[in-house]
This record gives sequence, structure tokens and C-alpha cells, in this order.
Amino acid sequence: MRISSDRIALPSLPLPEAPPRLAQLAGLHWGLLASAAALTLVGLLTVRSAAAEMGGGYFARQLVWVAAGLVAMLVAFAIDYQRLLAWSTPLYTGGLVALLLVLPLGHRAGGSVGWFRLGSVGLQPSEFAKLATAILLARYLSAESESYLTPRQLARAVAIALAPMVLTALQPDLGGAAMFVPMVAGVLLVGGVRPRLLVAAALVALVVGGLVWSLGMQSYQRQRVLTFLAPASDPLGAGYQARQSKIAVGSGQLTGRGYRQGTQSQLHFLPARHTDFILAVLAEERGFAGVALVLGLYGAFFVSAATVAARARDRGGVLLVVALVAIAAFHVLYNAAMVIGLVPITGIPLPFLSYGGSFTLVNWIAVGLVLNVDYRRYVNR
Amino acid sequence: MRIGEHREVLVARAQWLARATVGLLALVGFVYFFVQVLNGARYRELAENNRLRRLKLEAPRGVIEDRHGRILVENLPAYSLELDRARSRDLGESLRFATEVLGVPRDELSGVLERSRRSGDFRPVLLAENLSLPEVARFRVARLEHPEFEIEVTQRRFYRLGEHAAHVLGYLGEVSRDELAADPGALHAGDWVGRRGVERAYDRRLRGEDGERVVVVDSRGLPVEEFGRRLGRPGQGLRLTLDAGLQQEAERLLAGQVGAIVALDPRDGALRALVSAPAYDPNLFARKLAADDWRALVGDARHPLQNRAVQSAYSPGSVFKIVMATAALAEGVVTPSRREFCPGFAAHYGRRFHCWKRGGHGSVDLEAAIEGSCDVFFYAVGRELGIERIARYARLFDFGRPTGVDLGGERAGLVPDDEWSRRRRGHPWYPGETISVAIGQGALLVTPIQVATMVAAVANGGFLVTPHVVADSAPAPRPLGLAPGLLAPVRNGLERVVNGARGTARGARVPGLTVAGKTGTVQVVSQEAYADTSDAPWHLRNHAWFAAYAPAERPELVVVVFVEHGGKGSGVAAPIAKALYAYLFGPDRAPVAAAS
Repeated sequence: MRISSDRIALPSLPLPEAPPRLAQLAGLHWGLLASAAALTLVGLLTVRSAAAEMGGGYFARQLVWVAAGLVAMLVAFAIDYQRLLAWSTPLYTGGLVALLLVLPLGHRAGGSVGWFRLGSVGLQPSEFAKLATAILLARYLSAESESYLTPRQLARAVAIALAPMVLTALQPDLGGAAMFVPMVAGVLLVGGVRPRLLVAAALVALVVGGLVWSLGMQSYQRQRVLTFLAPASDPLGAGYQARQSKIAVGSGQLTGRGYRQGTQSQLHFLPARHTDFILAVLAEERGFAGVALVLGLYGAFFVSAATVAARARDRGGVLLVVALVAIAAFHVLYNAAMVIGLVPITGIPLPFLSYGGSFTLVNWIAVGLVLNVDYRRYVNR
Repeated sequence: MRIGEHREVLVARAQWLARATVGLLALVGFVYFFVQVLNGARYRELAENNRLRRLKLEAPRGVIEDRHGRILVENLPAYSLELDRARSRDLGESLRFATEVLGVPRDELSGVLERSRRSGDFRPVLLAENLSLPEVARFRVARLEHPEFEIEVTQRRFYRLGEHAAHVLGYLGEVSRDELAADPGALHAGDWVGRRGVERAYDRRLRGEDGERVVVVDSRGLPVEEFGRRLGRPGQGLRLTLDAGLQQEAERLLAGQVGAIVALDPRDGALRALVSAPAYDPNLFARKLAADDWRALVGDARHPLQNRAVQSAYSPGSVFKIVMATAALAEGVVTPSRREFCPGFAAHYGRRFHCWKRGGHGSVDLEAAIEGSCDVFFYAVGRELGIERIARYARLFDFGRPTGVDLGGERAGLVPDDEWSRRRRGHPWYPGETISVAIGQGALLVTPIQVATMVAAVANGGFLVTPHVVADSAPAPRPLGLAPGLLAPVRNGLERVVNGARGTARGARVPGLTVAGKTGTVQVVSQEAYADTSDAPWHLRNHAWFAAYAPAERPELVVVVFVEHGGKGSGVAAPIAKALYAYLFGPDRAPVAAAS
């Protein structure tokens, strides 16, 4: 009967009265949407500059993806998140099936098979599996009313995240697989983990890390980590990338070299400059001013999301927002640190800024879901 | 209220997480501030002046030598001029300076610049190639005023003999888009690959693996320090079976003519000389901006790029009588004692066929028929054999299919028979055509190198060799499967062609050496019975063949000479072969060393 206690107890919560519909919309956290929109705008301009000499119509395609993302956001916003939580098991199962199917059927590129190709459009099922996993985790942990999660719950939450993670790692896409870690860590930390368990988890992480290093990594991935630890060991490979990126960032100085004037970006020194290293292009061309603006916008986005979480109606809402934003936060922190050479180079793009179809789509769906939680904070339908 | 409290705990934790995220964000922001604002000037300088450049460490292509170790193809340093438009203060002034130093029309340079406009403003443009050292020096001296010019030092393929052996050696060309797609690992844009001949056939062996060097260059483009390097692997050298001296002598003898010479060792198929005339200078292709030269060569009506020794097929003429004689003996159609009377003509299938010798040869046996090249004798032999058996023996000698010579682009030639006639011409084989084929005329087509392997097989006692210029690539000789001693009468006949009293190639005698061979004269247009065509316009004159081997007792060298529209085989082709044998076996020359 504990499951239903949530539902029975709800009417006694000191919730504010539901205002009229239009006022309800006005009460939405518009700052969240505004910061995401501003970041997208900056991203589009930077992709345009970065891809100017590349051909392939990246700018035009990104425009289409952003438009698709906005539509997807509206859909994600329209369906009551309670209903989504109720559908979480089929959604999650669908995500796993897609990840299974992509292994034999996916488009092979650069030694991995993470994509379904539909004409000229590529879709990355691991991105959508992340969303489904976030929804199932929120639903699974929403039932708990104790202040700490039981070991059994912890184990099952980890298992929920582990299944899509392993499938993604099989593609192999270790960067994509790693993204499940901040998500599950975020919801567990917020859901409540005893301190001694945290210490134990850290130890397990060390062991797993060792195993991944020795068994699960491709030699080029190992090389990247080594390069990060000792940059001089591979001056022509990953060390070259890291150095070029740092020169690009630093040479931007305070105000930047001007739009499409970055010698590092335009001279083809920067690899993956329209995707993973988009921030380096921005830093070179717009200087610290541009970087500060973007980091500030991300800060605003995360604070807004925290506000939404704080005034969410129920545990499920809080945890859903946490799961979604934790991924984005990790992406932002890791990418920004990678571009300036603080952490090893891995294929982790920057939300709203980097070029990428599925990634743009999923980020905007996440925005829609967060707003969804915010919009339905009053009502109990 | 319990639930409410737990929601508060949850919210508190979420907000703590958000604060931690924003805190980390601020920390990363500070690192950016540190790098961009506090140290930005240093990185700006690095980006501006101390750019890293990836330089290709070009792997030297393998050197090609002849059989005596004489270098035929090597690499020389070449200097090319590149213009970095981004660093030019005034493009007009830059062009003026380059025009002045190079002494070329200004339009030429601005044209090059215009064509590469599409590549974007940042990449340097290749402006001129093969600069002389004084020109290089002038650009180096003007480095401060003209930092936009860069001198690239590359390796240029140098063909020491110029036009000599051009068709064997081939040349290089810049890699095409298709080739890049076909071999993505090994090739990179801008690489040079073999286009013809040995350069192409042994491209992988000759081509090394390029290394790479990353250097820090200053604002003038001069390397300041090395950031790192990966060494490549130089290409392997190649020693050919070719004898450069013989090759040059053969080309000298064919100069001004159109034709081909093949000289090979009949014991293993090693090519000693392979000539196709006219030739071209492969050094012309060792430049990227050679479009005009290329067009001139492709447009030349005499097709200098064509390797006539392997890529052109002709009627063999009377040289084919060697195959006919072998077939007739093997099939028992003639015995060495059989005689035919030649009155100078014969009637077959209601038509009168002339012998080249209007007065006739009189009564001849097989050896005498070969010696005097009696057409009437071989008309009779051909009629008795029939086209199917003739075709079978032609194919036995590898006519109608490539010999497998390691030069590429080889033609198969054509051995006609009834099946071919029905398939390609839509009507059955006419028996009268057999009479023409019997003396090497008609639809039958062979390449000079096929004739050389055929003669080699007769010379070495019945083994088909695979002609080759690189020793380790050739398969072992294959036996023809003829009865032992069967070829003896044929060889006797061939010896008499040169040494007999009535031989057609008496002009090929070399003192102190027994040469054996067979002449051939191919009618280009149907004429009234073998009139002398030496006065006719060039394109109507007969083709001349001479196929020989020597020493007849223990053959070491096969020589096949073919002269397009040269006239008579005996008058034009045979003397060339004689001169080659004299060159190699003359009194002051050691005989060809034994094959390994």
C-alpha cells in the first residue's frame, strides 16, 4: 500500500490553488527557455563560422535540426509528464530495442555503429535511450518516501542505467556510454545515498575504471588518456589537437579576433571544430567575452532548472528534472574543460551549441520536459 | 507531512547539486579568464607568428637501375614557389615581384592564382615549379619584404636517360580522386603515383611511406623549432633486367621511325631492351603544372605515349611462318622431306594467290621454304591444316592473349577462327581467308612482344617464357609440350634465312656469330601483288618485321624489330637487328652473361 500512499496523501499537501490556464502559462519559467534559445542562437552563428570552409551545408542542416527540436519540445511539453512516467517502462524497452537493433543494422562510420541512416539524416538511438532511462529512473525512485534509498533500490537504479550503457559501449561509443553515469549519479544523490555508500561507490568506480582501461578501451582511447597525462608523448596526435585548441582559445583574448577571422579555426588547425570544439571557435573569434556570455547562459539555465525542480509538485517531477539536467551539466562542464585542456579529449559535445541532429533534438526535448514539470506544478490531473 | 518533508530534503539536495554545478562552471570560467585574458597575448602570438605546421617528410621513391647497376631513375631536389595570400600586404606587388624574379608573363602567374581562388584565402597557392637556385636565392633574400612567398623543397623524379626507355620506365602523376578512394590508407591527396610502365607496375614497392614533421614556424614561415616527427620508410630500389647500353643503341637505330624493338633472353624472358618509337620525355610529367605538355603529347598523331611493343597489335606477316611450320610438323601435315613446286603463284578456292617472288622458288622443302619465305609452300600447308588447327597452334604460342609482361596495359592481339568470325562478323569463316592467314596476313594480329616470346620458345627448345623487366616477378618458363626434336627443321630453316645462299635476311649476318631469324613484310593496303612500296606515301608503305635469335647454337638473345610503314623486312628491320647483335656480341664485346 506504500505505492499508493503518495496519491492518497497528495490532497493534504499545501499546494497553491491552480490559477486560470493563461496565468498558468505566464507562470512558466520563461528564463529557462530564454537561456536555451540564446545558447542555440550563439551555437548557430558559431557553426556557421566553423563550417564556412568545410562544405557539407552544416549550417543549413543545423537550422533544420533546431526547428525540429522546437517542434519536439512542444510535443514533450504537451504530454503530461505523469503520463510519461506511467509509460516509462515501454519507452525504456523501446530505447533498449533501438540500441540492440543499431548494432547489426546501424551505419558504420569510423569503426562504430551508433547511427541509423535515413537518407541523408542520421539518428543516434543512444541519445533517445538516455531520455527514456531518465524517465524510468524518475518514475522508479519517485515512490520512495524515506530520506535515504535502500541498497535494493540503489542496485535496481544502477541496473536500469547499466543496460543501455553497456549496449552503447558495444557500438563502441564510450563517450556516449559515460553519459549515463552523471544521470544516475544525479538522481541517486538527490534521491539520497548514505555517505559510506558513496565511499564504496568511489572504490568500485576505481576498479571498473581499471577494467575498462585494460579490457574495454581501444588503443587510440588509451593513447588519449596517456596524452592527457603526458602531453609530450604524442605531439602529432591527440597532443596536437589539445595544443591547437588551447592556442585557439587563448588567442581570442578578451574580445576575440572577430567573426570568421580566427586563424586557428579557419586554417584547419582545429579538428571537429563544428562539433566537439565549437567552444574553441567561439573563444577564438569572440574572446573571453563570448565564453563568459555562454557560461553565464549555462549558469542561468541550470539555476532556472533548479528553481523548476524546487517548485515541482512531486518526487517524480524533481527527479526527472535532475536526471535530465545532470546530463546537460556534465556535457557542459566536461566539454568546456576539454577544450581548454583540463581533461582528456573525448567526443562529448556542447548542448545547444555543437552541431549534431539527434543531440540537438534531445536537448530540446529535455527543455520541453522540464517546462512540462513546471507547467503542471499546480494541478493534479 | 512526512512526505512533504522528504520533498524538501529532495529539493535541498537538488539545489545543492545546482550550486555545485554553477560553482564548477565558474571555476572553468576562471580558467578561460586565466588563459584568454591573463595569458591571451602569449597565445595570440603563438597563433599569429608561431603557428604549428605539419610538414610531410616525403619518403624518397626507390631508385631504378639497369642490370649493370647504372642509375636510370633517381630523385632530385626541386624548389617550388608558394604564395600565402593571407600574409601578402599587396597581392599586386607580390605578383610583380614574382614576375620579375621568374621572368614569366604576369598573366601566367595571375592565371594560376585565379584558378586556385576556390580553395579559400588561407591555403598557400602553388605558383611556380622547378625554380633555379638563383631564383630561390632571390626569394630567400627578399624574405623580410615578401614573407608571403614560401619555397617548398620537394623531390622530383629525374629520368636520367630522358626519352630513352621511357615506355619501360613510365612516369608519375598526381594521385586521382578515384585512386584515393580505392586505397585510402596508403595514399594521400597530393601524393605522386606511377602512371605507366615500371613506375606503375611496381608503384607499391617504389613508393615508401611518408613521414611527418610538426614544426613551429615564425611569422616569416621559417621553422623555429621542431614539435615532433614521425619517420617514414623510403621506397625500395629496383634493379631491372634492362641493359641501358643496348636500349640506347636500339633507340638510336630506330630514331626517326615509328615502330618497336623487343630484345629478351630466351632462357628466362628477361627483357634486355624494349623500345617504342616515337617516345616522350617522362621528365615532362615530373611537374604539376604540365597541362600544355600533356595535351601536346596526347594530341600527337604518332601517339608517342603508346608503347607499341606491348600495346599495339599488327599482322605478323611472314614471321608467322614459324608458327605454321611448327604446326605442320606437329600435325604431320609435312615431313622434312616433303616438297612443293613454287611457280610464283598458286590457285586456291578459285583464286590466284601470288608468291612474293614473282619468278617462283622452284621445288622447295620446309627448310628451303622458310629460308626463301616461299608463300606458295605455306599456302598449301595452310590449306591442309585449316583455320582451326592454325588457331590452336597460334594460341599454343600465347598469341591472342597477353604475355603477362610486367609493364601493364598489354594488348591481347587476335587469333581468328570460325567461332570468332560468326561472333564478331556475323558470317562463317571463308576458306580463302585461311590462305591469307597462312602467310600472316588477314585478321590475325600480334604484338611485338608476343612475337618475341614465340621466337624465344623456338630458340630455347619449346618453353614459353614470361617477358619481364624485374627478375623476381616472373613465373618459370612453361613447356609447349612439343615432341623433342620437332623444332629442329624449323631452327635449321631460320638459320638459313640469315646464312643460306637464298636467305631473305642475308643482310643480318654478323661475323663470328650465327644469327637465325625470319623476315616479314606486311601489306598495309591491298596492292597488285607485292609491288615495291618504297615510293608510296608513308602511310601506304608496308610494315617491316624481323624476328631473330643468336647465337643459333646456344641462343642468348632474341631480337624482334618492327618498323611501321618501314618497307621490306629484309631491307629495314633486319639491319637493325644485325647492328644490335654486333653491338652486344661484336669482337670487343663479351657475350651476354649467363642467366641466373
